[in-house]
Amino acid sequence: MQNETIKILLADDDSDDRLFFQEAFEEIKIKTIVQTVKDGVELMSYLKSSDQLPHILFLDLNMPRKSGMDCLKEIRRIDRLKDMAIAIYSTSSTEDDIEETFVQGANVYIKKPSDFLVLKKLLSQVISINWQYHSSGLNKSNFMLSL
Amino acid sequence: MNFKAIFNSTVFLKSVFALALIILVFISSFSYFHTLSFTNTSKWVFHSYRVSMELEQLESHIKDAEARQRGFNLTNDSVFVQGYFQALNKVNNSLAKLDRLVAGRLQQRNNLDSLRKLVALRIDLLKNAIEETPEEPLESNKVNLYQLLGKNMMDRIHLHIRSMLFLETVYLKEHEKKYNDQISFAPWLTFLLLFFSLIIFVAAYLKINRNLHILKKANKRLVIISESFQQAEEIGNFSSWQWDLDSKEMIFSDNHYRLLGCRPQSFEPSIENFIDFVHPEDKHVLIEKRDKIISGKQLSAPAFFRIIKKNGDLRYFKSVGKVLTDIQGKKMFIGINRDVTIQYLRSRALEERNHELEQSNKELASFNHIASHDLQEPLRKIQTFISRIAEKEDASLSEKGKEYFLRIQSAATRMRVLIDDLLLFSRSNKAEKNFELQDLNLVLENVKIELAVPIEERKALVYSEELPVLSVIPFQMQQLFVNLISNSLKYGQQDRPPVIHIYCKIIIASEEAVLKSESYKKFYKITVSDNGIGFEKEHAENIFVLFHRLHHLTEYSGTGIGLAICKKIVENHNGYIFAEAELNVGASFIIYLPK
Repeated sequence: MQNETIKILLADDDSDDRLFFQEAFEEIKIKTIVQTVKDGVELMSYLKSSDQLPHILFLDLNMPRKSGMDCLKEIRRIDRLKDMAIAIYSTSSTEDDIEETFVQGANVYIKKPSDFLVLKKLLSQVISINWQYHSSGLNKSNFMLSL
Repeated sequence: MNFKAIFNSTVFLKSVFALALIILVFISSFSYFHTLSFTNTSKWVFHSYRVSMELEQLESHIKDAEARQRGFNLTNDSVFVQGYFQALNKVNNSLAKLDRLVAGRLQQRNNLDSLRKLVALRIDLLKNAIEETPEEPLESNKVNLYQLLGKNMMDRIHLHIRSMLFLETVYLKEHEKKYNDQISFAPWLTFLLLFFSLIIFVAAYLKINRNLHILKKANKRLVIISESFQQAEEIGNFSSWQWDLDSKEMIFSDNHYRLLGCRPQSFEPSIENFIDFVHPEDKHVLIEKRDKIISGKQLSAPAFFRIIKKNGDLRYFKSVGKVLTDIQGKKMFIGINRDVTIQYLRSRALEERNHELEQSNKELASFNHIASHDLQEPLRKIQTFISRIAEKEDASLSEKGKEYFLRIQSAATRMRVLIDDLLLFSRSNKAEKNFELQDLNLVLENVKIELAVPIEERKALVYSEELPVLSVIPFQMQQLFVNLISNSLKYGQQDRPPVIHIYCKIIIASEEAVLKSESYKKFYKITVSDNGIGFEKEHAENIFVLFHRLHHLTEYSGTGIGLAICKKIVENHNGYIFAEAELNVGASFIIYLPK
């Protein structure tokens, strides 16, 4: 995986967060292509029209027009998309949100950190996950990613 | 059913009475028939005497006639003829009498018939003797023949009468025996009758007396109950009323009038008179209920209505009742009215308060959302930008700029702590409470693991007694111990390591002065005690108030939320928390959790 370029897609309505996200990947020494969409509606039309699916989708929960939770549910119902790795990327870390996204089939949950260094570490951890292995042994204790 | 109950039952008493009556009737009728047969017997005895007497007389009359005839034959004097006819008459009379007397007895009648024939023969003979006499005295041999014949016939008559007399004696003896038997039995019968009647009388008297005693006692109790019920009505602000659905007669209790502000029994009890006091808007409620009662239906729900008292006061009433049917099938409605004004107003105030609380809970929830998301979002970005500047632009800042930047950094960090603590506090407020049985010793172990780093840093010692297994909200219990122990670590003395003791024992509420309770409810008293800097006694209460701090930020960091959370958690578990302390000696936090 290290040798090929990893395609990353972020759905987040907050421009600051999109900026941190992109800058973080620029500083990580792994070849990546980062694309961003501004909300759930844009995300779904991108996924449906695009030929090449991203390797990992980072999904914010609180977005206008269509929430991250709704997108998650829809993606898991579409055959072509249902095996895509999805990382929840949210400010919230309430039990309810974590529980619900886990049940709906998200692969990992990241709480947006308030330190750029922490962000970089978390993101590089996510893209170095062996998804096949991670998904088969997924449980509630390793679902929430932290340092 | 035990023996006594059977003895006192109506059916039993009735059957005993019926049995006694049957026995009395039996003995009386027996006695009656006995007397009847006794009278009969004595009649027969008398009858036998009369028959015997008459027979004797008959014989003597015949002899008399014979003597006259003989006298005539000897003297030829006509006086004798006259006497002879008189005697003959008497003989006939006697026979006629005997005829009547023996009418009922076949054997004696047959005997009498033969006797009559014998007598007739004898009289014929006498007649012949007299008729032949007048011309000349009879020849002596002819007289002798007559006499011989007469004597012979007389002997036969005599024998016949004897046999009849004998038969009568046999009858007499028979009846006399019966008579004697009966006369000896009669006093026994009378005695038995008397004795039995006496027993029944005495038993009836005892029973009546006893019942009267019971009745008196019951009556006395009834009076007491009625009195206490009246008092209960006055104290409890309720009243009772009865309505006989057959006679339409109604009874209101005294308090029924008082509740309406009237003197007891000051107006005629009737539904209509009562409805006069009902608030105009509520009259239909009672009219509906009244019609339902009249049609004999049971009332399903209590009635609520307003009453305007005689003095114009507005009161709220609640009324319940039901139709009772007695053994005779008579229907009666029994109702209870209650003045529920105080309760009603209280519950209305409570409802309003509840509504306010719901409102403020909603506000709290929206605050929770603001704190958790909207406030965190910009702060997180500020902190992230701060970390970007610290990493990349630090070198280009002046010394002054660097110092300001550090202050910005620490202010942002403090804001983060505040928001996190506030979130914890609002989480401890959350309505949904999932209680689980939890071993508090395990909870404490987890807390020690969570606080392992600061405990290690301060070289603190934590001792604890055996803690109970309780039904608690697990994460809140953990939070409680984390807050209390980190407080003890934070406010330790500079010169010695913190020593924290956790004690636990079972107490009774009324024995703990601080609980201000009279109840015998049992509580676990868990004390977390340290050797830290303590605080002055006057702060013991307000340290639990939100944002209340005893120290400056420069001395000790803190948000003033931790103990408020502790109080909230303990209250969520229906417990109490208190603080005791002495400045520079140490502080103790005492938690009471219901057993």
